[in-house]
Amino acid sequence: MKPLIINAKEDTPKIVLDTDLDEFIISGRSLPEDAHDFYKPLFEWLLEYVKKPKPVTTFRFELEYYNTSSSKQLSKLFLILKEFPAKVRILWYYHHDDIDMLENGKRYAKLTGLDFTMISIPAVEDDSFEIVIN
Amino acid sequence: MSPYDQKQGLAFELYDSFKSADLSYVYHGQFTQKITDLIIMLAEINMNRTGESAKIKKRVFSIMVESLQNITRHQDPDDEYQGFFAIEQKEGNYFITTVNLIHNANIAHVEGLLKKIKSLTPEELKIYYKSVLLENELSSKGGAGLGLIEIARKSNNNVSYHFHPINNDYSYFYFHTCITPQEEGEVPNDTDLVQIDNIFLLHQLLRQNGVQIIFNGLFNQESLINLLNIIENQMAGLGRLKRVVFNLMVEMLQNIVKHGIKASDKDGNQGIFFINRKNSQYILNTGNYILINAKKPLIEKIEYVNSLNHEQLNDYYNSCLFDFQIDNSKESGLGLIELRMKSNNKLEYGFHPVDDEKLFFTFKVTVDSQEL
Repeated sequence: MKPLIINAKEDTPKIVLDTDLDEFIISGRSLPEDAHDFYKPLFEWLLEYVKKPKPVTTFRFELEYYNTSSSKQLSKLFLILKEFPAKVRILWYYHHDDIDMLENGKRYAKLTGLDFTMISIPAVEDDSFEIVIN
Repeated sequence: MSPYDQKQGLAFELYDSFKSADLSYVYHGQFTQKITDLIIMLAEINMNRTGESAKIKKRVFSIMVESLQNITRHQDPDDEYQGFFAIEQKEGNYFITTVNLIHNANIAHVEGLLKKIKSLTPEELKIYYKSVLLENELSSKGGAGLGLIEIARKSNNNVSYHFHPINNDYSYFYFHTCITPQEEGEVPNDTDLVQIDNIFLLHQLLRQNGVQIIFNGLFNQESLINLLNIIENQMAGLGRLKRVVFNLMVEMLQNIVKHGIKASDKDGNQGIFFINRKNSQYILNTGNYILINAKKPLIEKIEYVNSLNHEQLNDYYNSCLFDFQIDNSKESGLGLIELRMKSNNKLEYGFHPVDDEKLFFTFKVTVDSQEL
């Protein structure tokens, strides 16, 4: 399947949906004027992918910030993932002192029942991420 | 008037003071190199959008660069008397005003220099510039004198100034320039220079109300991102407070972009945004036009989220988050709930009549840094 790769802009995140990679990735900031439009290609890609998914799909969310209109699109994304016929794992990254981002992840975990792993990103540039299982 | 009414009044009062300007952008606070760059970038965005001529742009840029350098060089190290930069655009003319601290002992020298500059013709000014350059008559901080001459040259000598005493040691130095599309050498129009009085009053109003940053102009995604960058830099190191203010700002400014109405055919919605500080409180304010018939549903939505307690807000947020009946490019239905939850305060608002079609809507969100 042809990968979907969208490079990050100042107000939109980087998106990498590539079946050759271990993880699907959304990272950066998401505050587009029109989140509805921005996330459309991602949904279309996933609805195609879901026809023949890998046994385990790992989705990495490394969002630094997102606005409310993006949060609605994330809800939609989680509902699509929820309906997957195969296993889905969510890795939810948050800056170690960003309790709001951690709470956002917990909220989605609770409301969707998906398998979330919360991963704290340390302050200092360091490869050893602390993994917290919720 | 209750304090609440007065505050609502401030947004309108400030907006009203800019009414005649097509664009105005005022920064009041600590100036860093990064913030200076962003201010210049914001001016560039606005000039590109209004389709300004290359010649005027170049002159505005060089004056901005020189004036911003004057501010950064002469900042109060204690940050009590903060610098001020304003750019206003009105009928094709640009007005740039800076305010910075000056040692009372240096006033005579600067005033002498300015008097001399103002007495010179463009040709004489050019010669004087070269002679100062050669004689190396630079101030101890380096280059300030030359900067003033350069500004005078670029503005066709359309400069005015004012010193306002603060205490025995320091005064405020107000420096005001006007860039007009007139040809070089044309006689400057003195009436343009009256504006410095308005700026003086504005500066006082901003100081009294602890206003950190204020932008009056067209709101679109581009100006929004630039303002966010400035706030991020201004609040660097403030941790959660910075993130919360950033968050509130995005929602408030996108409200103007999405729900405000255009007052002209320009690319963006007319409005005002400012942040003021009161002790530990950061108060975010917006003002923009809305259609009269949008007033009632807006009041209902705000009053509803204001009536909810923390737990109810949380439940309401969750239900809206997965309510796809409201899911279009315009709204998510979450913005006001988020503002109420993140600020942990009631949302305040007001309306000012404009005409038969529209109202001016003022909106205020307060966040207390001690509660975070």
